[in-house]
Amino acid sequence: MPGWLAVPRDWLESLTEIARFGARTMMLVFNGKVFHFFGESLRQAGILVLGSMVVIWGLVFILGLQCGIEGAYFNRSVGAPSYAGVFAAWCDLREVTPYAFGYMLAAKVGTGIVAELGSMRISDEIDALEVMGVQPMIYLCATRLLGAWLTLPFMYLVAIGIGYFASYLAVVEQIGEVSAGGYFLIFWMFQNPPDLLFSLIKAMQMATVIVLVGCYYGYNAAGGPVGVGTATAKSMALNIVLVHIIGMMGTLVFWGANPRAPVGG
Amino acid sequence: MVRAVADRAFLPAKSMFEEVGNMMILTGKTLTAVVRPPYPYGGEFIGQFLFALQLSWFPMMVSTIAFGFGAPGLQAANFLSLFGSLDRLGGFFILASVREFAPLVTAVVVAGVAGTAITADLGARKIREELDALQVLGVDPIKNLVVPRFLSLMLITGLLDIYAVLFGISGGIFAELAYNQPLGGFFATLFTNASVTDLWGSILKCTIFGAIIAVVCCYKGMNASGGAEGVGKAVNEAVVIAFLGVFAFNYVFTQTLLATHPEISVIK
Repeated sequence: MPGWLAVPRDWLESLTEIARFGARTMMLVFNGKVFHFFGESLRQAGILVLGSMVVIWGLVFILGLQCGIEGAYFNRSVGAPSYAGVFAAWCDLREVTPYAFGYMLAAKVGTGIVAELGSMRISDEIDALEVMGVQPMIYLCATRLLGAWLTLPFMYLVAIGIGYFASYLAVVEQIGEVSAGGYFLIFWMFQNPPDLLFSLIKAMQMATVIVLVGCYYGYNAAGGPVGVGTATAKSMALNIVLVHIIGMMGTLVFWGANPRAPVGG
Repeated sequence: MVRAVADRAFLPAKSMFEEVGNMMILTGKTLTAVVRPPYPYGGEFIGQFLFALQLSWFPMMVSTIAFGFGAPGLQAANFLSLFGSLDRLGGFFILASVREFAPLVTAVVVAGVAGTAITADLGARKIREELDALQVLGVDPIKNLVVPRFLSLMLITGLLDIYAVLFGISGGIFAELAYNQPLGGFFATLFTNASVTDLWGSILKCTIFGAIIAVVCCYKGMNASGGAEGVGKAVNEAVVIAFLGVFAFNYVFTQTLLATHPEISVIK
């Protein structure tokens, strides 16, 4: 039994350590040391694209459908079914695609990193790297962070497109109470390029935190194969909460006092 | 050459279907083990229930308040404030929180916190060969390990849904307060729009989410293999499959509920 306060106490204890670890990893990327292993970064980027892209897009697609049907039914209930685009545009771009991206990234990439680095740690491969004169922080963590920064913005932009397509399918093709032209007129009117940029910033903050938390738990795993499993589970729990907090802070900062809508004066 | 290409395309699909089939078989075996006597799983059931509750209560609270305040709270309040109708936020929270986000966030947190812990636990037992030892002793691992986890996760996901609704709505209250609005209008539209159908739909949905998460996580844990990386990999795969299963089911369920109960989408 873990006890009632185990989870918050655990997080409070490790939060400063995770922050320090993350800052160190980011410094290794910013001061260019990671470019000694640029090939490894590219390899990590390739692994992200080949291994995780389809699953992430799949989840975004499902949640885009969800936004579409909720929007269609909600706007029907207020007597304006042709305005379903408002709901879909805000739901897709501002909230749900970043969340879906964060969830799947935490599940697929974050826990994957913990499992991989954790098994390296407990089979003493990380110590072996150090003995050979390779700094493991750079070779294992900084390269993964750089790989994520290289690929994920583009993956996210395509994910937004996929979410839009799913909402279109749900509203126009499935529910069918608004024509394609009427839907797109409203849909594009209620968003603009800065919204896209804000959404991208939100998603990339989530991605950075997820990769860093994954690296921390994997790099510091202990206690045999069982310890790797426990560390993986713990990283997932922390990542989920951090994704929600970043999503809320992003909304508060970017859209908190400014609806950014073409209504009123 | 042709065979190599065909294998490359065909084998992943085949293994995926096999996996889904195996999970279905595990579900069937679990369900028969639930009803067929004897019932030795009482103590383990309570233990697992408390375990999941102790792990999830804090992440649940933070996540649902953050989600309720950000996504449906601030964004909808933004929109409503343009029309000067911020009191309508309460009515919107029935759609947003009860019908949609509370079950989803509950499923995500339960899968990410309790489900991963279950997979790590069972995976550890698998690779230490404890499960085989149990079988040698004549103890059925499905009846004694999977069934209590299945039942307790179903129950706790359904109950945490109510918890998520409460904290999601309190996130909405914070959003309303952030706009310096009196709360009377919020509660008035909240309670006039609330319907029993929405609530049972939400709880039923969450209970089935719990079943999906439990089966996927137990299956992956009991089939962990492959040395040091095995348990971590099992957790990774379990949470990915659980997310996809839950979200796909959510789409079908919400669509069916909205189409078969048109009265819940009438704004009062």
